[in-house]
Amino acid sequence: MKKTKRELLVLAAATTVALLMGVTVQAKGDEKVLNFGCQMYTDGCVNSANDENGGWNAMRYGIAEALFKFDDNMEVIPWLAESYEVNDEHTEWTIKLKDGIKFSDGCDLTPTKVKEYFDHMKEVGPSGSAKPEKYLEFEAEVTVDDDANTINIKTSKPYANLVGQLCHPTMGITDVEHIENYDNGIIGTGPYKIEEFNGVGVGYTLAANEYYREDVPYDKINLLFMGDNSAKTMALQSGQVDLVENITNVADIQDFQDSDDFTVDIASGVRCGFAWMNFDGVLGNKTLRQAILMAIDNDTICNSRTIGGLYTPGFSVLPSTLNYDYDKLENPYTYDPEKAKQILDDAGIVDTDGDGIRELDGQNINLRYISYENRLLNDFADAQAQYLAEIGIGVVPEYGSSDDQWSKLAALDYDFNNNNWITVGTGDPLAYMANWATDTSYCAYSNPDYDKLYEELKGEMDPEKRKDLIFQMQQILVDDAAVLIDGYYNSSMIYSKKVGSAHIHTADYYWLSTEITPAE
Amino acid sequence: MKKKNRFLANKTFVVFSILAVCIILTAVFAPVVTRGVDPLKGSLVDALLPPCKEHIFGTDKMGRDIFSRVIYGARASLSATFGVVALIFLVGTVTGVLAGYFGGVIDAVIMRIADMMLAFPGLVLALAVAGIMGASIKNAIIAIVVVSWTKYARLARSLVMKIRDRDYVSAAIVTGSKTPYMLFRYMLPNALPTLIITAATDIGSMMLELAAMSFLGFGAKPPAPEWGYMLNEGRACMQSAPWLMIFPGLAIFVVVVVFNMLGDSIRDILDPRNE
Repeated sequence: MKKTKRELLVLAAATTVALLMGVTVQAKGDEKVLNFGCQMYTDGCVNSANDENGGWNAMRYGIAEALFKFDDNMEVIPWLAESYEVNDEHTEWTIKLKDGIKFSDGCDLTPTKVKEYFDHMKEVGPSGSAKPEKYLEFEAEVTVDDDANTINIKTSKPYANLVGQLCHPTMGITDVEHIENYDNGIIGTGPYKIEEFNGVGVGYTLAANEYYREDVPYDKINLLFMGDNSAKTMALQSGQVDLVENITNVADIQDFQDSDDFTVDIASGVRCGFAWMNFDGVLGNKTLRQAILMAIDNDTICNSRTIGGLYTPGFSVLPSTLNYDYDKLENPYTYDPEKAKQILDDAGIVDTDGDGIRELDGQNINLRYISYENRLLNDFADAQAQYLAEIGIGVVPEYGSSDDQWSKLAALDYDFNNNNWITVGTGDPLAYMANWATDTSYCAYSNPDYDKLYEELKGEMDPEKRKDLIFQMQQILVDDAAVLIDGYYNSSMIYSKKVGSAHIHTADYYWLSTEITPAE
Repeated sequence: MKKKNRFLANKTFVVFSILAVCIILTAVFAPVVTRGVDPLKGSLVDALLPPCKEHIFGTDKMGRDIFSRVIYGARASLSATFGVVALIFLVGTVTGVLAGYFGGVIDAVIMRIADMMLAFPGLVLALAVAGIMGASIKNAIIAIVVVSWTKYARLARSLVMKIRDRDYVSAAIVTGSKTPYMLFRYMLPNALPTLIITAATDIGSMMLELAAMSFLGFGAKPPAPEWGYMLNEGRACMQSAPWLMIFPGLAIFVVVVVFNMLGDSIRDILDPRNE
């Protein structure tokens, strides 16, 4: 009995101490906490070497950093690297690391650690979706010198811009030697580290990386996954979160812009929203494609209250903000619905049965439009269908998930297929422009002139000549009426008064960074 | 003294019948009511306008007139709802009467199929069926019919079984009545009043189910003016442009209330227990 009493006393004392500790933690009022609402991609996985979105997540959450990064002009600047040298043939790159960088587990970032990550990519890359060889070929010979703090990379073929390739999120360096949970517990050099993964659809608890080379503004970040735009909006309005990324409801953004309690930061991005046109179907008819482009008032759509502010109108596959001479391109298919009707009539594409839909080869033109709920793509599809109805072209919308959209794109099972892609993911549009080269196209487009220029581009190292080749390739696509452009997407971040400053970057690889600071 | 018609004697029935007829006439004469405004045509320049003189219910994200879409939406919603109710009434009654009259293997097979359907929550199963078949109003109707006919089948079966072994039925069979005659002369008339009451009270709930299917993206497709789909379209602008949800929501509410009240009054009139 006595023993039981004693145990009870000990238990009571322990409880009291625990409670007091709890109170102490609660009373630690100076802890700086950020509540961040964001979209969840691939279940929040941060496995950068294995999963395409994993790398994006790791970099966006401020966990992993790469050797180089893009500034807001999409120029490459050193990040973990201090400098680099390259030979004239663009086949040998020597990269010097910054001194004193540490991973969040306290280990030093050394050239050996970088090589270990590259080796890990070779090991796991082939089985995953990240395809790291797109950024650094597996054949590359990597040697390191820890004393000189340098990494030497010899490639089997010339790379015009390897340092740009090394900016990609997949190339975010992690401490592979000590990671136990690659999917949700990686160790990087970023300002924040994973304290806890709270579950798919829930989010992460991140903590400041005490080994970071600068002061980290927040002690803790509650990263909350929010897929729905209305949820993000209401969470921000109610104070449940302090910062959100990419609300795509323009009216909500305007409300936030009009309010003194919130700040909206919009960056003219490097993403292009566009609908593929399937050349293997009815849209193989050039006159029909030309009429389609002339029938749609892209400027009005992009500047409407539905889309306004989040897309910049344009007619080329590369955003007008990039330095590829957009202004010098000629667009023969500016908005002119009467001319669109005229060329269709002239080509014999007319409505013979009076149902309001024109026919081609005896069949009504009802184009299957595949789209999905992301970055206003469905709104673009609806708006474009509305314009096409005016000239007698029917559209059958098929809106589903991103997986549906992707599988139908890969299977050429569509007439239009709408998506929003980053155009210069590695600082250069080579990979993006490959989408219209005969061998790598998703829309059965083929133009020998384009292919020739693309082959030249692959081997061209001179920046000015590359720019000229890219300009010519854009003009060919415009002339061929090959792509239906939605516009150039502008990313956004919106934050409350609890946040002092935040910034969304042109390259939307970077969300959480030391630039996001609490209010004074 | 002239006996008063029991339908006309029921004030609730009279009032809600008139309202239901008004709703149906609104749907039929939608082009007149909307003064020729096309529910599918809009201008992005006029997108998301709040209610005003030109657009009394405002405009949607594509600049289309919401009043016109709500009125035309009555066509889609009412025809789909009546279609669903008619189909489940027909399929359920036929299978139920056959199961109840013949019994044995036919009964066992029909009822086991019905039991399978009842093993899943109705809307969830309907979503699965519509998901497999693809989004369209037609498929949404089929999906709801597939999961809803069982109620009528079970009801019709039990009503038929109640009289199947009555003496006058046996007498009719003994005197040489053929099976079709037995079904149409004796079985169906006995089951029909209860089934009609059930169908009348189901109109409102079926309308809600169809709207739910469209709201979740399994029913109407853009740019169709359908109330459930319009709610879905307006969801993203719930705060900034609430009129996108208010008016289709109100339309569903009013029509469901009217048809529910009408169904209730028909039940009050036809239910034998009230006589």
